[in-house]
Amino acid sequence: MIAAPRAWRQTAGIIARQAPHGAGHWWLDLDVPAPFAPPAPGQFVQILLPPAASPVLLPRPMSVAAVTRRRGGLRLGFLYAPVGTGTRALAALSAGDRVEVLGPLGHGYPLERPGTPVLVAGGRGIAPLLFAADALARRGRRCELIFGARSRDLLVGLDDARRRLAAMGGRLHLSTDDGSRGTRGNVLDALDRLSPRLAFPLALHACGPHAMLKAVARWGMRHGASCWLAMESVMACGTGVCRGCPLPRSARAIAEFDGAKTPSLYGNREWAMCCTEGPVFEAGELDWERIE
Amino acid sequence: MKGRRRFVRRAPPPAAPFSPRKLPSRSAREEPRGESRSRAPASHAVDLAIAIGPMRLRNPVLTASGTFGYGDEVAHVVDLAALGGVITKTVTLEPRAGNPPGRIAETPSGMLNSIGLENVGLARFVSEKLPRLRALKATVVASIGGETPRELEELLGTLGAEPGIAGFEINFSCPNVAAGGARYWAVPRRLERTLARLRPLTRRALIAKLSPDVTAIGDLAIACEQGGADAVTAANTFVGMAVDLLAMRSRLGRATGGLSGPAIKPLALARCHECARAVRIPVLGSGGIMDARDALEFIAVGATAVQVGTANFIRPDAAVRIVEGMRTFLAERGVKSIARWRGALLEAPDAQACAPPRARRRSARP
Repeated sequence: MIAAPRAWRQTAGIIARQAPHGAGHWWLDLDVPAPFAPPAPGQFVQILLPPAASPVLLPRPMSVAAVTRRRGGLRLGFLYAPVGTGTRALAALSAGDRVEVLGPLGHGYPLERPGTPVLVAGGRGIAPLLFAADALARRGRRCELIFGARSRDLLVGLDDARRRLAAMGGRLHLSTDDGSRGTRGNVLDALDRLSPRLAFPLALHACGPHAMLKAVARWGMRHGASCWLAMESVMACGTGVCRGCPLPRSARAIAEFDGAKTPSLYGNREWAMCCTEGPVFEAGELDWERIE
Repeated sequence: MKGRRRFVRRAPPPAAPFSPRKLPSRSAREEPRGESRSRAPASHAVDLAIAIGPMRLRNPVLTASGTFGYGDEVAHVVDLAALGGVITKTVTLEPRAGNPPGRIAETPSGMLNSIGLENVGLARFVSEKLPRLRALKATVVASIGGETPRELEELLGTLGAEPGIAGFEINFSCPNVAAGGARYWAVPRRLERTLARLRPLTRRALIAKLSPDVTAIGDLAIACEQGGADAVTAANTFVGMAVDLLAMRSRLGRATGGLSGPAIKPLALARCHECARAVRIPVLGSGGIMDARDALEFIAVGATAVQVGTANFIRPDAAVRIVEGMRTFLAERGVKSIARWRGALLEAPDAQACAPPRARRRSARP
């Protein structure tokens, strides 16, 4: 259900709810009127705060964590941590406040691909993956969700994840670096432990810090699993015009790029644009050696 | 006293109702910035049409190069026919991949960019972009960039007579490339000679985009005028830096980038004013224009047209909103044409306190 390119629009959104979500994170419900195209799991929107409420200039790209249809439009859910100037200003807004929403942007997870879906989340990377689990459940597909963090405090929104996953028959596998919850170790240890019990081929869908994504990508390529990773970048426009969010292409992707006709706001042979080509990339598309 | 004569040549000062001192205070421009569509009296229309050399624009608002793609990418949300013009991403002879990340860093009231002239190169510009530009319902200005005068000659030699392009903006001011950037071109004699070589290659409008990071931008503007440019753009981004103190490195992939956004508006306004006082050819004001009032400030200090850049990243329809806001603002004050507003502040009393304009030779325009 990846929205067609250039289906995005900018519209006023109204904050329906803001609430703490554990571990210093917040959950935001935002109502946007029709005809805002429903974002797919992995897609993002640009949230622009009203100038009076915000010291920042640019909109902030936010991954969508939930979508529900409601009369007259959609309710979009977001999970975020108020760690920067922009997100702190967002956290200061309350129900009824207005923001501008531009989206949906980018490409989401290709959940329709064959293979046993395994979702791998690191910390607040859980946001788009719970949404992906919802979407898989709607297609009648069960998924395995590996949720890892440094410690149990950082398993953001764990109760919510457990509730949503249980309702759709998915299985949750927890891991913490310090062993304070779930198995001790990182998500790759959990992947090693889990994968022998699953039917191959696997389809990995991951979101988390780039170091984790890099490791998951390598694990996927080593084990012949298809592997899709949601990347992050500083962005200005989010729509491809500013050329501000390049990610390095792999040699294979460069070879493919040279022969292909690509949409105009995609990147060039050396750089992929995170906003228009991503944020979800297949592991083989990027040069992981050059990604920080 | 040539300088005095130049002031007399300008449009007469506007009548009392829109004396610049009576502009509503800054605080009155609460959001939504730049729009007040419904208040426009329907009784009379405001004539916003302007000319830049041979190019006629329906209004003075253009989108700045590199901030609006090739126009058609946003056509589903922006009425391109409502814009004065679209200036396309700078094209160079060969394709350029652009700089490594990070390319963007937000700073207080502004942003730094270090894109590095990423573009598809002349060949693909001609085969892929030009057909799309011709189909556009907007006046198109193609931005071209080169590391040497010869490269620019080659670009203009190829594109100079292509249908679908109303004018060319020569990017003499990219702050983010190793060669042929702002530093190289900030030499009046080089600009004059280069433009004199480019002038015979096209009958379309030739606009020289200047760097603000120079001792006297007016000198560069005069050189461009004498070389045969139809207009100058004041100005490109300012060179800036941002540091990540925890990582102890630049927040950009390169040490420096180009600063844009509201942070540079007062600086750009002064550069625009300096250029407008120095030359007779039109000046395109650019730098931190976020709403109609910002745009009207540039026009009041002498700009013929304005370019909207960073604002496009925040609202893709920013430039259209600015046109609407401009029309409303002028209509409410009984100003019938943008020409009556232009240069209003060049007549301000303290304009005489500025340095006397330099003596100028005759324009070299054919």
